[in-house]
Amino acid sequence: MDDYQRRLYGFALRMTGNREDAEEIVQDAFVRAYRALGKMSPEQRADLRLQPWLYTITLNVTRNRLRGKRPTNVALDALADPDAILRESNEGPPQPEAIVEQNTEIALVERALLQLPMHLRAAATLRFIEGRSHPEIAEILHQPIGTVKSHVHRAVRILRRILGPQIGRFSPEGVPMHALS
Amino acid sequence: MRCRDVEALWDELRGECQASLKETVHVHLRACPSCQDMYEQYEGVAYCLSCLPRPEPSCDLAKKVIQHIAALKGKGHSPIVLSAVATPLGRVFVGFKHHRIAYVSLDTGEPLDEVIARAGRRLRREVVPGDAPLWLVVALEKFFSTWTIDDAIVDISALTPFEQAVLRAAARIPPGEVRSYAWVATQIGRPRAARAVGRVMARNPLPLLFPCHRVVDSSGELHNYYYGIEMKARLLEMEGYRR
Repeated sequence: MDDYQRRLYGFALRMTGNREDAEEIVQDAFVRAYRALGKMSPEQRADLRLQPWLYTITLNVTRNRLRGKRPTNVALDALADPDAILRESNEGPPQPEAIVEQNTEIALVERALLQLPMHLRAAATLRFIEGRSHPEIAEILHQPIGTVKSHVHRAVRILRRILGPQIGRFSPEGVPMHALS
Repeated sequence: MRCRDVEALWDELRGECQASLKETVHVHLRACPSCQDMYEQYEGVAYCLSCLPRPEPSCDLAKKVIQHIAALKGKGHSPIVLSAVATPLGRVFVGFKHHRIAYVSLDTGEPLDEVIARAGRRLRREVVPGDAPLWLVVALEKFFSTWTIDDAIVDISALTPFEQAVLRAAARIPPGEVRSYAWVATQIGRPRAARAVGRVMARNPLPLLFPCHRVVDSSGELHNYYYGIEMKARLLEMEGYRR
């Protein structure tokens, strides 16, 4: 479970930009998976490809959560809890939590990713961060491979626009040009 | 090969694609500076994303998941049923089990699935949707006319002893009146625990019934409320609070 937990947490974190949300999403996803497994026939269970299925559940939980999230969703009576007030001031569009601790380039990329619409963010995260293949992403997102490719591409175009010249600065050695070598 | 066709193949180059295909794309890229530039940027973005760190979840996440699932598996643990009940405040979601109310959530337009998931996480119990029984409708009607709840029909046993003490102290504040966090802390014999009281209020699984809306800043300011400061003011006004 450790490996799945780590992967799903990483995915949920990139989707939400918030550690607390990501942990709750993973917890919900596992509970949903557990319930769903209990309702499946042995044949269904045998046919199940666990990893993509868990990503799908995690994504659904994330979608529900981000849809239900109101910007004013502050802890009850945050007054007596200065941490809660701090959290409140960070509400609104999702922001990577630890920006200040991280080096600027990473924070820039994290923020850029969070600016993408959710379906493009999911495609880009699965492709480049989770390292999933197009057919795997198609299975996770229940989309045709062509759609996945086009979403990945659109995500990259937008990120390229947001990051602009920062892209080259990201790596001290410059960008590796695997295919042109 | 046209530029558009080549662009569609960029991502293929990252995987195991045919050598001949790779060569065709490379030939085009070498001959076409604009495609080459775009491709470099594409690879740059992909590289940036692949470099993002993979933060670890907190070490007790697995434990939480296992506990939550164990609670679902537990024999004799009948689930908490969550029903929507019409009230003067609009729809209110109420979770109950064995004739006792264990969870309350005002309707914020959040999908039912998410309300159920939130209740399940908070109480670490299985929560399922269901219809509101008559006793529940009657109990809520009575609550909205008296603004007090009969202790026998609420269940806070899933909470820690500290949380239970805080909520019981808050319940002693008469309707239409307010007290400070420090007052609640003093009531439970922990005068220095005002902040901890605030945190319990923030996670109150039974808002309205355990009136965290009657607990305010020492200066008397209402400050924040999960359902918005306007809701806090509205609840106090409905109870007859006059500043």
